[in-house]
Amino acid sequence: MNVELRDIHKIFAAVHANNGINLKIPAGVIQGILGENGAGKSTLMKILSGFYQPSQGQILLDDKPVIIRSPADATRQGVGMLHQDPLDFPSMRVIDNFLIGHPGELIPDRGQAAAQLEAIQQKLGFSLRPEAHVDTLTVGERQQLEILRLLWLGVRVLILDEPTTGISALQKEKLFAALRLLAQEGKTIIFVSHKLEDVEVLCHKVAVLRQGRLIGEMLPPFNITRLVEMMFEKVITLGNRRSCCRGEISFRLNALELEDARLHIPGVSLEVQGGEVIGLAGMEGSGQALFLRACAGLVRAVGGHISINEHDLTGKPYHTYLEHGIAYLPAARLEEGLAPGMTLTEHFLLAGEARGFNIDWEQGRKVAQERIADFNIRGTPASPIEALSGGNQQRALLALLKHPLNLILLEHPTRGLDIESSIYIWDKLKERCAEGAVILFISSDLEELLQYSDRLLVFFSGEVSSPLDAERTTVEHLGQFIGGKGWAA
Amino acid sequence: MSRKTLWILVSLLLVVAMLGAACQQKKAAGPITFGMLLVGPYNDHGWSQAHYDAGKYVETKLAGSKMIYVDKVNPADRPGTTPAQLAEELVAKGATLVVFNSDDMKDSATEFSKAHPDIKVIMASGDQVWKEGKAYVELPNMINIMGRMEYGKMVAGCAAALTSQTGKIGYLGPLINDETRRLTASAYLGAKYCWTKYLGKDAAALSFKVTWIGFWFNIPGVTSDPTQVADDFFNSGYDVVISGIDTTEAVAEAKKLSAAGQKVWAIPYDYVGSCEEGKEICLGVPYFNWGPAYVKTITSAADGSWKSNWQWNAPDWKDINNLDTSAVGFKKGNALSADAASKVDEFIKELAGGLNLWKGPINLQDGSAYLKDGEVGTDQQVWYLPQLLQGMEGQSVPSK
Amino acid sequence: MKNLRWNNFLFQLVAFLLALAFTSLIMVFAGAPPISAYVEILGGAFGSVNSLANVVVVWMPLLLVTSGLLITFTAGLWNIGIEGQITLGAIFTTAALRLLQESSLPPWLIILLAMLAGVAGGALWAVMAGLLKTFGGVNEIFGGLGLNFVATALTLWLIFGPWKRPGTGSMSGTEPFPDTLWLPQLPGLRLSPWSVIFGAAAIYLVYRLLSGTYFGLRLKAIGKNVRAAFLLGVPAWQHSLLAFALCGFFAGLAGALQVTAVYHRLIPSISSGYGFLGLLVAMLVNYQALWAAPVALFFAALNIGSIQLPIMLNLDSSLSGVLQGMLVLFVLLTEGARKRWLQKNG
Ligand SMILES: Nc1ncnc2c1ncn2[C@@H]1O[C@H](COP(=O)(O)OP(=O)(O)OP(=O)(O)O)[C@@H](O)[C@H]1O
Ligand SMILES: [Mg+2]
Repeated sequence: MNVELRDIHKIFAAVHANNGINLKIPAGVIQGILGENGAGKSTLMKILSGFYQPSQGQILLDDKPVIIRSPADATRQGVGMLHQDPLDFPSMRVIDNFLIGHPGELIPDRGQAAAQLEAIQQKLGFSLRPEAHVDTLTVGERQQLEILRLLWLGVRVLILDEPTTGISALQKEKLFAALRLLAQEGKTIIFVSHKLEDVEVLCHKVAVLRQGRLIGEMLPPFNITRLVEMMFEKVITLGNRRSCCRGEISFRLNALELEDARLHIPGVSLEVQGGEVIGLAGMEGSGQALFLRACAGLVRAVGGHISINEHDLTGKPYHTYLEHGIAYLPAARLEEGLAPGMTLTEHFLLAGEARGFNIDWEQGRKVAQERIADFNIRGTPASPIEALSGGNQQRALLALLKHPLNLILLEHPTRGLDIESSIYIWDKLKERCAEGAVILFISSDLEELLQYSDRLLVFFSGEVSSPLDAERTTVEHLGQFIGGKGWAA
Repeated sequence: MSRKTLWILVSLLLVVAMLGAACQQKKAAGPITFGMLLVGPYNDHGWSQAHYDAGKYVETKLAGSKMIYVDKVNPADRPGTTPAQLAEELVAKGATLVVFNSDDMKDSATEFSKAHPDIKVIMASGDQVWKEGKAYVELPNMINIMGRMEYGKMVAGCAAALTSQTGKIGYLGPLINDETRRLTASAYLGAKYCWTKYLGKDAAALSFKVTWIGFWFNIPGVTSDPTQVADDFFNSGYDVVISGIDTTEAVAEAKKLSAAGQKVWAIPYDYVGSCEEGKEICLGVPYFNWGPAYVKTITSAADGSWKSNWQWNAPDWKDINNLDTSAVGFKKGNALSADAASKVDEFIKELAGGLNLWKGPINLQDGSAYLKDGEVGTDQQVWYLPQLLQGMEGQSVPSK
Repeated sequence: MKNLRWNNFLFQLVAFLLALAFTSLIMVFAGAPPISAYVEILGGAFGSVNSLANVVVVWMPLLLVTSGLLITFTAGLWNIGIEGQITLGAIFTTAALRLLQESSLPPWLIILLAMLAGVAGGALWAVMAGLLKTFGGVNEIFGGLGLNFVATALTLWLIFGPWKRPGTGSMSGTEPFPDTLWLPQLPGLRLSPWSVIFGAAAIYLVYRLLSGTYFGLRLKAIGKNVRAAFLLGVPAWQHSLLAFALCGFFAGLAGALQVTAVYHRLIPSISSGYGFLGLLVAMLVNYQALWAAPVALFFAALNIGSIQLPIMLNLDSSLSGVLQGMLVLFVLLTEGARKRWLQKNG
């Protein structure tokens, strides 16, 4: 389906989130959308998919002007969107999620639906079990489910808002193959991302947004430097690898043994010096998330010991971990990290030390203002967290980290951040290292792992490698290791 | 001032402005406006309707009198209010006399009478101003009125005994107190008398069982369900159920079962028209006729001859169904056989002739003697019957 | 922000007018004159000092209950068990009064102890719902319903059993307490100044608690996102329990007032349905404590004013219930409409 956006404007109280955007996307094309955090990408996509009404402007589908009233209306008209933060129902089964939103009989024919699900899966090379519960799926699988559902509903325009953060390289390949196939069938794909290399290999055409405006478009071959310049109005270079001065050994794991419904992690021993950064690599669901939660005191180990600065924390409750300067930032920021409905000020007050019984709102606003400036968050102290763009939510999440900290545990710390902000945030994190904090982080981005870690732990279905020296590891080697090659039997 | 406060002020102002509009009060027309507090719905085919109709009767008999009323005066239907408070509402609307129609409002009526000495109060079924009673309080503005329903209940018991084929009579009781004990006992005495005297059967072969629901009418979730209680009676061999509650569930249930082929009968209570709901199974109804006493009492309030007193009005034995003279009556129902009907008439004649069933020997439920052989019960002994009688089944809640 | 509030108010106003219109329509169908019905209700509620005092008698316990519910609402808890908490407050108060009425303690002390007992009873019942939730995994809605049921059963059992009036077996209530054990009332009125003091203090305290303290902020965080609140270091279940306890505290106080200031005895429907009414109020004011007072006043006025309907117009007073229901329905409906409108046009 041909999609055309004409002079789209969207004004939120004080923010002009989309400012006169004109864009044509012919059928069969994979259109990339780039732009810094808060540029207006998600807003534009939400307008196209019926979540918002434009303040002004027109949408044309197959050259006919249309009005899209709601997401359901959008799917009826053939437009479906995969959101930056998943909107499925975690406690339900795959097949039920699949059926949701399907117009039709009151009592759906589950058998038939399952068969159709299977057929589409086969074509795209996905393999979800219809009876599995959604909360047992990985982020990548949840994405696949959503794509299947939208296709089954008959969408011909598929919008993906940052689909590649948090999914493994393998799942990414699957996804890209499926998208290419769909494009060949004449579907229109819109792909919003911060990852230039993804855009480069996948897209037929790229548009760049900045501060609500369309800055320009580019056809392959893409000039990456030029694209970055369009996004940020300046050239951005990755800083040099740098390690912090190391301090004493502060974080110690002694034969830590973990278990959950799916995995068993036999025994990890690790000693980390203050200031060190450890990257946790592995396909999603290989045990690294469980490991990180155990380090945070959220999961009880079945064996072994864990200690920070010579304090034994084994079996202690979560708040003891907090008291010892351990912080944990989850990947599902809107589900676990932030509280939608509360303002930035309220978040900072909540995360900070309580000063007495009564809140000094004046002081709170001042602190919020400082943090907002410090972390370059696009928003005001009174902004409710859900009104921030995805990247700005991530910055807010990082801005909640207390001071000082001994151990910082991060899941996908730069998820949804643009390149500039990623660099900036890592600068901030390295400052924490300089103050002696240990950082453990999970990422699915190999470059990020190699760039910022001192050592790496690779996870593969519950097995944990001995620490690798990041400086002497290559992307290729790491990729193979993550995929299960090169493990001693 | 914050915007919020401003808004609150504005809304308050609005309320005050509307106040002005609403304030003009309607003054009642005519020489006397009397208020009535009905414990149940005014059209309950029972206790409350009997009072409501009596009020209407007063309106026709006393030129210029006017009734205003609130019905469903009970905490379940009117949460957060008390009868005294509702009586004040009636006074605010011009009532100079208020009828409290239920035993349930007794405390509230006393409280109200004390607080409003200038307002006349009729407390139906009460005993506060009975000098010889156990609960006497001096309240010059109060009159107690009650009908001698004992006779009505005796006749009801008689009709039940004459009709029952199983010899098992069920009594659907409201709550337990002096009044309900004596009425239930009267029904039993009537039943026993006709059972032995007219049918010549053995008193021991008559069973008479009371099940109390806990209040004057059904309050779902609070009382036992009267329909259920009646049903249990009918399904365990009790083929006549005498109702002691304000509403007509027993009639409805008997009608239902009778339509399904069961041979069962019911006797409702309170209201002259309550057989209407199930003529084919209704043996008759003992009813109150409050009208004449109310006319007399309200007239005395209007002409200044009011004097606090306690009335326990007997039926007009010349014709107990004379609506202008008799305080209590019994209206025979269609289901009463011709033979039984004539025996009931005979029984009434005997009562009119001076037969007194409250005469010893009468033993209480626990076997202790209450009235010695030949001893005639005084008003106090009957009114304050401490237990059910020997031969009756059911809870007594003895009062010492 | 300013616009938003105006907009909010406008939608509420529309809801109110719609509710009024629909209720009027029903009245017209029932052959009743709507205008005079409303005039009667207003007059009945505010027409005299006496009726105004009666409105306040309803208003204060309702306000207490609503205050409590604002706390649990903020913490994201549906404290349906509120009815039972009021009832337990009343039961404990009655128990204490019965126990102490023969004693030589001065009446004011007896009343004070009884009210404290009531407060403890309400809090206890609320904490039970909380414990069932945190340790039994029972959703507070179901737990609350169950506890309400138990509370009612307990009341009935006490009234018909151990606490029955001598010689009487009746569901109508226990023996009234002597007026020395009543909360002092304003001369000639049924209103106790203490009710007003408690009601006003409660709503002010809750307002302060929710808008100006760390405790309130933490409750809000739990209400908005328990997981996030926990990760940020808020002891989540402890705070939930505390929210329950505080709500039960206020509910228990309301129950104690019902006994010491209104009915002076225990009756089966001692809660007067204020729990459910309070839930409506809390829902309508949408967490804003300041609005609770006027909205609760409105409901109280409706309650008292509608007594006029049968007296003056021979109308069933349950019409006011229709109006209440309509109001809630339309406010919720327009709230939904407003959210959608905001999302699209924000
Ligand atoms: N519901 C809302 N209310 C108010 N402002 C909003 C709302 N949604 C988005 N905005 C603002 O609009 C701007 C654009 O947001 P948008 O989510 O489109 O950015 P984005 O390009 O998707 O950024 P990111 O890469 O961080 O996801 C931001 O400044 C954001 O704060
Ligand atoms: Mg976005």
